Formats: sequence, structure tokens, C-alpha cells
Amino acid sequence: MTEKTISKDKINLTKEEKEAVYKAIKRDLTIPEAAMLEVMNSEHCSYKSSRPVLPKLPTKGPRVICGPGEDAGVVDIGDGLALVFKLESHNHPSALDPFNGAATGIGGIIRDILCMGARPIGLLDSFRLGGLSDPHTKWLLKWVTKGVGDYGNCVGIANAGGDIEFDPSFQINCLINVGCFGVMRKDELALSRATTPGNKLILLGGSTGRDGIGGASFASKNITEESESDRGAVQIGDPYMKKLIIEATLEAIKAGVVDGLKDLGAAGVTCSISETADAGGTGTEIKLENMRLRESDMEPWEILVSESQERMFFVVKPENVKKISEIFDKYELPYEILGEVTDTGKCVVKYNDQIIVDLPAHLLTKPPAADRKASYPKYLNKLNRKWLPKEPKTNELNDICRKIMASDNIISREWVYRQYDTEVGLHSTVKSGYGDAGVFRLSEFDSKKGVAVTFDGNSHQCYLDPYYGGAGVMMEACSNVAAVGAEPIAMTDCLNFGNPEHPQVFWTFEKVVEGLADASKALGIPCVGGNVSFYNHDEVNDVAVKPSPVIFVAGLLEDVTKAVNYSFKAPDEYIILIGETKAEIGGSEFAKVIHKSNNGQVPKVDFANAKTIISKVVNTIKSGLATACHDISKGGLFVALTEMAMNGDLGYEINLKRVPSETERVDIKLFSESYGRFLITAKAEDVEKIIAIFAEEEIPASFIGKVTKKKKLQIENSNNEILIDLPLNEIKQTWKMRMEEEMEGKK
Amino acid sequence: MPSQFLAEIIIEGKKNARDPEGETIMRDLMIKHGYDMVTSVRSGKILKVTLEAKDEKEAKEICWKMVNELRIYNPIAHVCTIQIVK
Repeated sequence: MTEKTISKDKINLTKEEKEAVYKAIKRDLTIPEAAMLEVMNSEHCSYKSSRPVLPKLPTKGPRVICGPGEDAGVVDIGDGLALVFKLESHNHPSALDPFNGAATGIGGIIRDILCMGARPIGLLDSFRLGGLSDPHTKWLLKWVTKGVGDYGNCVGIANAGGDIEFDPSFQINCLINVGCFGVMRKDELALSRATTPGNKLILLGGSTGRDGIGGASFASKNITEESESDRGAVQIGDPYMKKLIIEATLEAIKAGVVDGLKDLGAAGVTCSISETADAGGTGTEIKLENMRLRESDMEPWEILVSESQERMFFVVKPENVKKISEIFDKYELPYEILGEVTDTGKCVVKYNDQIIVDLPAHLLTKPPAADRKASYPKYLNKLNRKWLPKEPKTNELNDICRKIMASDNIISREWVYRQYDTEVGLHSTVKSGYGDAGVFRLSEFDSKKGVAVTFDGNSHQCYLDPYYGGAGVMMEACSNVAAVGAEPIAMTDCLNFGNPEHPQVFWTFEKVVEGLADASKALGIPCVGGNVSFYNHDEVNDVAVKPSPVIFVAGLLEDVTKAVNYSFKAPDEYIILIGETKAEIGGSEFAKVIHKSNNGQVPKVDFANAKTIISKVVNTIKSGLATACHDISKGGLFVALTEMAMNGDLGYEINLKRVPSETERVDIKLFSESYGRFLITAKAEDVEKIIAIFAEEEIPASFIGKVTKKKKLQIENSNNEILIDLPLNEIKQTWKMRMEEEMEGKK
Repeated sequence: MPSQFLAEIIIEGKKNARDPEGETIMRDLMIKHGYDMVTSVRSGKILKVTLEAKDEKEAKEICWKMVNELRIYNPIAHVCTIQIVK
């Protein structure tokens, strides 16, 4: 090789990583080789810190077609169809440029679904930001919403739901996670592999520029300070081109001319040529001068690691090249043949007939894991788990309820989701703001089934008790899906944490994964993929984000017309509470907002009964007995009841005596966030039937009150004294308008 | 005595960042209709602001303070130039 080499000590790899490299390659590395190895060894690409911990998650199940390792999880949903879904973080790019960061996050997650061969039909998003009233938070919220909305609306994929949390720990490091799901015929599954030597490698879509380069250690050495400010480190998405790429890719798959498919995200072409070769047990060889560049003066290493958007990588049999070219031409999409599949097990890159890269594929795709230390975090020692707040006086309860309904994490998210198109594609039946999960019908795919999707997270509880916090998020996400009538079938996760090199942070990571894993096993839900984002750490103030797993659970309805939302439907319907309310007030909105306390017991998941409760709820809805269903989560029983009332524009009368609980304290009955609880409404004649369904397995189910025509929220204690008496309209007004007023000013 | 000034605030993407709007105008409008001598199009935004200030220097200072404080551009993604035209 004549290409310039770089000495061992100038390469930004750890000692172990260098050992692995030089054991396989007994010579100096060229600059492009070093750049490729640095990027592929990065935390983002290699999962080096998380890889030893993640196998705790269960990944097997009768429905699983593709588990972790592919670009997205694929599960069998019957009728010859498969559901493909994934979520991913775009935290760091969104913190710098919220609009383009969030938009390209959506662009990237759509590619992950597409590259399995599925048509993307829905999007979800999760934001973790500082306090809502803070000006920086408002700036971020405004632009990430616009980024998600603009890209999704332009590319024509409906938004199915999301999840927002405000907490000071996200002030500097916001977390922006995005998800996408799609549906395909099972026989159209495309895999990211290059199996046959001689097949051609084709790159479709946008040109390659200096987008998203910056990780490589010597990046700054070649450029002057002035040119630094010109560099396009910010990635900019192009949803209209993405729409064409989606249609062209799906048409090529239908035509049977695609042998392997990979999207270009992190590490760009480097990732594509190495992962397809390694997965297929082959090798790849490309000619770098064939790539279309946006900037003429790019160095070879920059071209190889560029993360320019809107690109797809195809593996195609030589005889099908003409056919696929015709499809790409029809959509007026640019493409080029980069090279071909070989049988060498190596990734070879030629530039003007010189070999500049010659590395074994597995060296790039399977770098060594890092050995991280974990230690018990000191802050946990300061918490008093046995704490219970002082019992409020009866005359304080109305105001406590008002405060909770107006708090950052309870108020309506309408200002955000009304900027999203929730209708395009005509798939959505339960839309954002109406149900615990989004429900999409599959009539386009000739099926009467429906899919339910939800995002869930609870960073505050994961901070106070990483194990039960993690387990709780999983239970809560499955409850969301069950509450619309869908059986939860699989999950994928995005784990957002601080610096994994800090043992106390890494301990929380291990515990959250353990909690998630134990809950997933108890619920029988396989994990089919995921993403880990570390280094969400503010180095200046030394603040790590609270441990923030975000879980994407997908559920299946055999008959989509049976889906329910959570609005009260008619006066005099009965309200039934399922599950036991425990004195679990730690990490609740009540403890946080009213008592400003981190103490108390974080809700524990009842692993033994979790699956039974979920399947009983699903069966109740399936049998048509429930007119509405809502799972109880943030804010407890009071908030759940009030959300049902506000959405149905009807009031309620409740007696707390009938709430099955280990305690008689009214504040705990109202605001405890114990998991595994649901509110179901039903017609008078169906109440006994519903209670009997749950009684079979000795799950508490109790009629606690009625829906009223009178627009009042009324709650009595066991002596029939009125504790809470609030006008629905006043509560609804503040709840509905507060975010809008924060963002747009008071009208 | 304050007098009136017209400031032109130009916001554009950084030189090497992608510009899908400019690319589309060039590819699908200009080149397709025979203007194949066009080799680059960049889109941007211009704000013409009329304001009162003591002198040209102050007018410019107000504009800079304003675009930074109100985050009218994002220094990470954009280049902003301000000129006083009269």
C-alpha cells in the first residue's frame, strides 16, 4: 500500500482495542483505516460498554422473526404480515440544533424500518427536557417539535404518539428519542447481508459531504480554525428525497431484485461495507472515486465515515443491476455502483487504483467490549424509603389536585402533537391524546387486525430506584398497550444514561437493565432490538441525566374495531378499578410536586401477577364489555379519573371506601402510582361480568363510582363526606392551556 | 436625535452544510428547464428591519443583540450577516 500511514500512538483507541487491531494487522494502519476503526470502536457504533449487560434481556419468543442485531426488530403478527419497529436516540445532535437534529432523527429511524423491507406507517417521539418554564427548554421544545413534525409531515408518515418529561437534570443534555414502525409481508424481509461474491454494491440517494464527521481524533488537525466554522457538522434532512427513496426501495424489493439492504447512519459507508460482509460471511471491495461528493476537496477518510443523510446501500445480483437502475431512474434518484461482494472476508477500499484500506470485516464489526466498573451510588443512601408525607387536611385536597393537574409532567401535550399529522395514510384509529397507546389499522395490508404502539419512561423513578424504576417502565408500557385492548407482543428500548466510565452511573445502568429484563420475563415480552446512548453528561456542572430508559412496546389487536380509548362515554356508566393501591408514593408526582421530596417507596412491579392482569384487561376489552379503559400511572388514581372525565366532557362521583388498598389514607389512595391498575367503565348490566373475570384469578376489581352528567369531579371518603369537589371546566382549562401559554404567551 | 435605518439581516446555512431547498430549485427547476449553466443554488432568509437608532453603529449593535437574544439564527447551523443599507 502506498497510502500514508499513521503511527500507533496517534490513534485514538484504548489499549485493548489497539491490541485487537494489531494482533490481526501486523503493519501500520493507513489514515482511512484508522478513521474507520475509530468510528466503529466508538460507543455509539460498538456498544462496547453496554454489550456485556444487554444479554440479560430476553430476546426469544414465538413471534420473533428478527431480534437484536438487525436494523430493527421484526415480529410475526399473523395473516402473512410482520411488524417492524425500532426506536433510537438523537440526543447530541438535537441539543446543538434542535430542528435539524430532531428531523434527521426521524429520517434515520425511518431508514431503519425501510431497510428491513417494510413500509413505515407511524412515528413516535419522546422528549426529555429541563423545566417547562425555562427559556432554553422552550427554545428546544419549540424546535424539536417542529423538526419531528416537519420531517414526518413532509414524508407523509403519521405520528402515533409519544412521551414528554420535564426535569432539571435534562437542562443541558436534552434527550430526544424517536421511533418508527412499519408493516410488510413476511416474505419480503430484507436482511443487511452480502451473501454471494460477485454481487454488486449500489449506493442510492443523497451525495456525500462532511456531515456528522468529528469523532475521529485527527479531524481537527487537517483544517484551519477558520474552516472549522464552515464545516457542515450539522446534518440536514431532506424528507422529499426520503419519500422517493422509500417508494423506490419498496418497489425494488417487490420486484425481487434486492439481495441485501442496509441504511447509512452512524459511520456511513464504513458501517455498510463491513456489516454486510461480516453478516454474509463474505468480503466487500469498493472504488471510492465512484462516490458522488458534495464537496470536491474531501479526504478519503472523510468520505468513508461521513454520515450524510438520505442514503441507502443495496446488494444486487449482476443480472438485476439493469432492472434496479430502471426503478431508481423512474424516481429520478441518483445512484452509483460502488463495487462488489468478494469472498475474502475483508473490506477493501480502492482510490484511483491504489488500495487504501484492507481490513478484515470482523475487526470493524466486532471490536472488544469495554470492562466498566459499577459501584453503588452515594445519593441513594440519603433516601428514606419508609417515608410517608404528612396527611393533608381535607380542606387542602382541592388545591393539591389543582396543583398536580397543572404540573409540568401532567398537563396536556396537545401543543406538541397538534403540530403533527396524525391522519396521513388513514391508518390511525386511536390518535394522540385519546388513548394510552396509538392504534393503527392494517386494512391497507388486507388484514382486520390492528397494531398498538406506545413509548414510556419514568426517569425520576429510575433515578430513585433503578431496578424497580426499570421494571416499572416496562409494566407501564405494556399496560398502555393493554388499555386500548391490544395484547403486548414485543418491545425495543432506548437506554439514555450519563458517562459509563463513572462507576455510579454504570451501576444505575446495570440495575435498570436488570429491572427491565425481569419485568420483560414476567410479562413474556421479548426484546427485539434497542439503542444505547451514553455520555449524556454535563461536564461543566458535572450533572448526569437521570437514568432514562424509554421503552417502545408494540401490541396486537385481532380485531381493530374492538379498540377503546379512555374518554368517559355516557352518564351513569359504572367506573371499575382493577388492581391494588399500595402505599407507594416514592417518585410520584404527589411527592415531587406537593412535597418536593425524593423519599418514599418507588412502586414495585408485582411480577407474579403482571401477565395475568394484562391479559385479563385485554380479554375484557376484546369481549366488548368495557366502554373505556385507562391505565393508572403518573399522578395516580385522581389524574387518571380526571383525564377520562376531561376527554369525555363528563364528571364523576367516586367513593374512596371502595378503592382496594392496604391503607385507608385518602392521599395515598388518590396519588399512589402503584403499577398494574386500570380504570374501566361499563354499562350497569356488565359490571358483575367484568368483576367476575378478575375474581377468577383473585385480582381486586371494585366498582368505585359513576360517570355523571354534572361536570364536576367529586370524591367522597368512607364516611360519605365530600373530600374533593372541583368544576371540570376549570381543571380542564388549566390542564389544556398551560403548555400553549408557556410557549405562545397568554392570550 | 434618533434616525431611521434599514438593516438587512441575512441568515443562511453554513457553507458546506446541505441545502435541500437550493438543490431542488437548481435540479428540478433551473436545469430541467434548460438553464444547465447553473452550478450551484443556495437558499436563505433575509429580514429587512427598519429601526430607530442614534447612528449606524448602534443600529448594527441592536440587530446583533436582537438576533442572538431572540435566537433568530442558530450559530451552530447558520451564518448570519447584518448590513445597514441606509
